[in-house]
Amino acid sequence: MGGSLNVIGYGLAAIGPAIAVGLVFAAYINGVARQPESRGMLQPIAILGFALAEALAILGFVLAFINPGGE
Amino acid sequence: MSLSTLATAGGESFEAPAPADFWQPLIGDGAFALTRPMVLMALSFVIIAAVLLATTKRLSVVPANKKQFAVEALYGFVRNGVARDIIGSKEFLRYVPLLFTLFTLILVNNVFGVIPPIQYPTMSRIGFPIALTLVVFVLYHLIGMKRKGVGGYFKSLMPAGVPIFLVPVVYLLELFTYFISRPLTLAVRLFANMFAGHMLILVLFLGGEHLLLHGEGLLPAAGVVSYLFGLVMSFFELLIQVLQAYIFVLLTATYIAGSLADEH
Amino acid sequence: MPAWVMAAAAEEEGGFWEEAYPVLPHPGELIAGLVFLALLYLLVAKVVVPRLEKAFEERREAIQGGVEKAERAQAEANAALQQYKAQLADARGEANRLREEARQQGAAIIAEMREQAQAEAERITTSARATIEAERVQAAAQLRAEVGRLATDLASRIVGESLQEPARQSGVVDRFLAELETSEQGVTAR
Repeated sequence: MGGSLNVIGYGLAAIGPAIAVGLVFAAYINGVARQPESRGMLQPIAILGFALAEALAILGFVLAFINPGGE
Repeated sequence: MSLSTLATAGGESFEAPAPADFWQPLIGDGAFALTRPMVLMALSFVIIAAVLLATTKRLSVVPANKKQFAVEALYGFVRNGVARDIIGSKEFLRYVPLLFTLFTLILVNNVFGVIPPIQYPTMSRIGFPIALTLVVFVLYHLIGMKRKGVGGYFKSLMPAGVPIFLVPVVYLLELFTYFISRPLTLAVRLFANMFAGHMLILVLFLGGEHLLLHGEGLLPAAGVVSYLFGLVMSFFELLIQVLQAYIFVLLTATYIAGSLADEH
Repeated sequence: MPAWVMAAAAEEEGGFWEEAYPVLPHPGELIAGLVFLALLYLLVAKVVVPRLEKAFEERREAIQGGVEKAERAQAEANAALQQYKAQLADARGEANRLREEARQQGAAIIAEMREQAQAEAERITTSARATIEAERVQAAAQLRAEVGRLATDLASRIVGESLQEPARQSGVVDRFLAELETSEQGVTAR
């Protein structure tokens, strides 16, 4: 077995943003289901929230590469 | 890696795709070598320029053909769906060219990742996302400083209604957001999505090939499954590529709108 | 220039960029990205967007013009409808008037005809009456002569042959018949 602990660490770190992205879109779907006419207004906000939540996963991704220990 | 150990059972050892696979120099090998993504970038520029110039040469009031309709739909999407909705109907027109440029450039370069003869997303080399982000980063700070003055701009970074004892902490966080987190995430989001997606497809296709050629027993069947899954993931990647182009311009528009807004 | 770039530049035989972390930007690619972004931006901002904006503006105007044209057509249609309705009302009135006129004319014609017929009838009656009178007078005259002759014949047969001449000469019979007539007339008048 090869590989690095960083990858496992990144996998763990991605759990949080994954849940966050799920929550963002759950709220978006809820909102649109309740008020379909608000779709146009909610969509950019949902994508924005998704991007912000995803940013954490991306920081983890970068950190996983910045220190690829155990080469 | 588990996949490589699995395949080693077949005799040949499997080289899993690595970040080094993305380094494809054509001429030279140093810091200023001509690399494949550079050529792709130039190709995307030529394609976009040719398509845009050709389709907008004679614009009719009623769209004459599908190409004109498609280009206008794309432009209308960036202009109305992103710029006007986010920046506001007063000043959005000035920023439409930049947003449209960014959108088309990122879109074409991303989609290169799944187009068969190319199959290399330019944005998986971080230099390109950083170049785009650098422009956006400089632009939204300059707009803010021009609008509110340098002092006023730094004052405006502070959100209103924060208790006095929290002001230093919140201000530091805001500075971090504006000067580090925003550009970093903007560039790395694009890069990471393209890089990881392309790596995933590489693993599926190269691994499938290895299983098919060197696997024993039922392993070639697993190779076929791997190929099929790679195909599915290619379509998923297409979705991600379009979405990332949209997110990039959406965030750019949001940052510009934030710099133009009066209060934080 | 950051240290890693210098290191890479110094290390000419390569290897560095192949082994470098993927989050390190390759300077050449960074510059290429900036250059092509700038080129495309110039192209889009100077040529493509003005063209598209112009087309959008023209389309907006065309649509607005179309709306105005449609409104004008609507107004015209409304005016035509009003005019048509007015004309219809006029025509209806005209028809009523004509009908009334015709009825009056018909009545007048009927009255005239009746009058004419009556006059004709009157005339025919009068002429018939005159004819009858004339015939009656003629018949009476003939009758008188006949009756006179018959009476004289009768009397001469009774009285004798000689009476014939002197009776005729004296006009006795005539006188007698005239008396008879007047008395008869008096009886019928009563």
